[in-house]
Amino acid sequence: MSNKQKDPNSWKYWKFFWSSWMIQASWNYERQMNMGYMYGMSSILDKIYSKPEDIEKKKEAYNRHLEFFNCTPQTASFIMGLTASMEEQYYEDPDKVDTNAITSVKTSLMGPLSGIGDSFFQGTVRVIAFGLGISLAQQGSILGPILAMIISFVPSFVVTYYGGKIGYNTGNKYLTRLYEGGLMNQLMYITNIIGLMVIGAMIASLIGITTPIAFGETFKLQETLDSIIPDLLPLLSTFLMYFLIKKNVKTGWLLGICIVGGVVLSALGILA
Amino acid sequence: MLIKAILVGLIGVIAILDSRLLGRLNLERPLIGATLTGLVLGDLTTGLMVGATLELVSLGLVNVGAAAPPDMNLGAIIATAFTILTGATPETALTIAIPIAVLGQLLGILLRTLLASLTHRADALVEQGDFEAAKRIHVVWATSLYALSYFIPIFSAIYFGTAVIEGLVGVIPEWLTNGLTVASKILPAYGFALLLNTMMTSKNVVFLLAGFFITAYSGISVTAISIFAVIVAFILADIKFNRPAASAVGAAPIDFEDYDDLDSPDDL
Repeated sequence: MSNKQKDPNSWKYWKFFWSSWMIQASWNYERQMNMGYMYGMSSILDKIYSKPEDIEKKKEAYNRHLEFFNCTPQTASFIMGLTASMEEQYYEDPDKVDTNAITSVKTSLMGPLSGIGDSFFQGTVRVIAFGLGISLAQQGSILGPILAMIISFVPSFVVTYYGGKIGYNTGNKYLTRLYEGGLMNQLMYITNIIGLMVIGAMIASLIGITTPIAFGETFKLQETLDSIIPDLLPLLSTFLMYFLIKKNVKTGWLLGICIVGGVVLSALGILA
Repeated sequence: MLIKAILVGLIGVIAILDSRLLGRLNLERPLIGATLTGLVLGDLTTGLMVGATLELVSLGLVNVGAAAPPDMNLGAIIATAFTILTGATPETALTIAIPIAVLGQLLGILLRTLLASLTHRADALVEQGDFEAAKRIHVVWATSLYALSYFIPIFSAIYFGTAVIEGLVGVIPEWLTNGLTVASKILPAYGFALLLNTMMTSKNVVFLLAGFFITAYSGISVTAISIFAVIVAFILADIKFNRPAASAVGAAPIDFEDYDDLDSPDDL
């Protein structure tokens, strides 16, 4: 590490990086990110099977990576790096690595890595980025969207680039270590707490449901509520929706309930 | 109007290509699309206001896996443009955005079905040994189709539709506008509930309540809560993971069973 010699594989890391970001360019209902994955592996495969007599094996390899694939783009680079190193080992010694293993690495990793990736990027990073973004934008500040972009960019860049590099170099061992050492649990624990507290704060500050119900001049329900638990209605609405989701009410119905319910409750003078 | 329609159409192209080519850096969000539209059409404040409103409404609509939620990005860009071009109030933007979002959702499903046929074309090209052409399907053709699927609707809506929409907005009754404003306040509750559905268990609900009550009673900002949350999370993680003896008194444990189902490397 001390002598700053350039890693001869760094072009591969950038390839994993860009093709992971690009993996959804041909997202389709049949095999989802299959062409994106094939594209990510293509330059490594082109290099491995550069001899003309290898063309049939090259076709096989391309077909192997045109199978169904779906993963969070940022975590897909790890799998690309890992399978790329397996493809290289397979070409050197077909007895050591078997092609089924390459496919099973892909299919076994995409589930857990999607779970982690989606909950981290969509659940935590996006919620924090846009939670801050919305509150600043509502004050008319351009910093809102800018901050949201910066918070979104940094983790995405880091995870995608180093995911590919780590996947290629240390591969499966590293992931196992991450799990065994409990680091992954720690990371999930921390992001979960942050995500929940921020959502709690956003329920209180961003949902503006109030009630205009009043009896005469003296009793205004909203004022009474505010003096006991401010923002009680937003909290109750969120828990009601949460309850309905847990009861497996379909998305279409829930959207309908929100929109029609809003119009009806507003017309009846219950909510404003 | 031609130039404005083209420029706003290009914002749509940036939005859709964000998730196609940039791994979803969240440029494809109502807040960003609306802000850029405001910037291009010379009314940044309206862009920010409409963006904040629609972002809040769609915060819970997550693009994960195969799910296709209403396309609020398309809705936000077109609604912002209409609001600015027709001089409507930011509240009316919601009444325009939601139907467009539903149309955009249908368009998206159609396109992703169509792209399934391109994957068969890629299979055939690999079979013929034309690897470069197979890659071009992913990089060039599919990308262009996605870009057009945003550019064409936005361009036509703005170039041909402003007058039509202006007329429609004029006849929307007040009770409907008021009702949809209330609906726009309930929708974020639904969005947050969707997020909580994947994150919350009976054991960690206290963190949600902590965030809620601190903000509800003290009125401090989301930024402040985020900073406190990071500090609290690191302290609790330290108690829970680095001092095993103290963990029984300290943090509420979280169920990680969902994340432990990774196949062991011995299976390879």
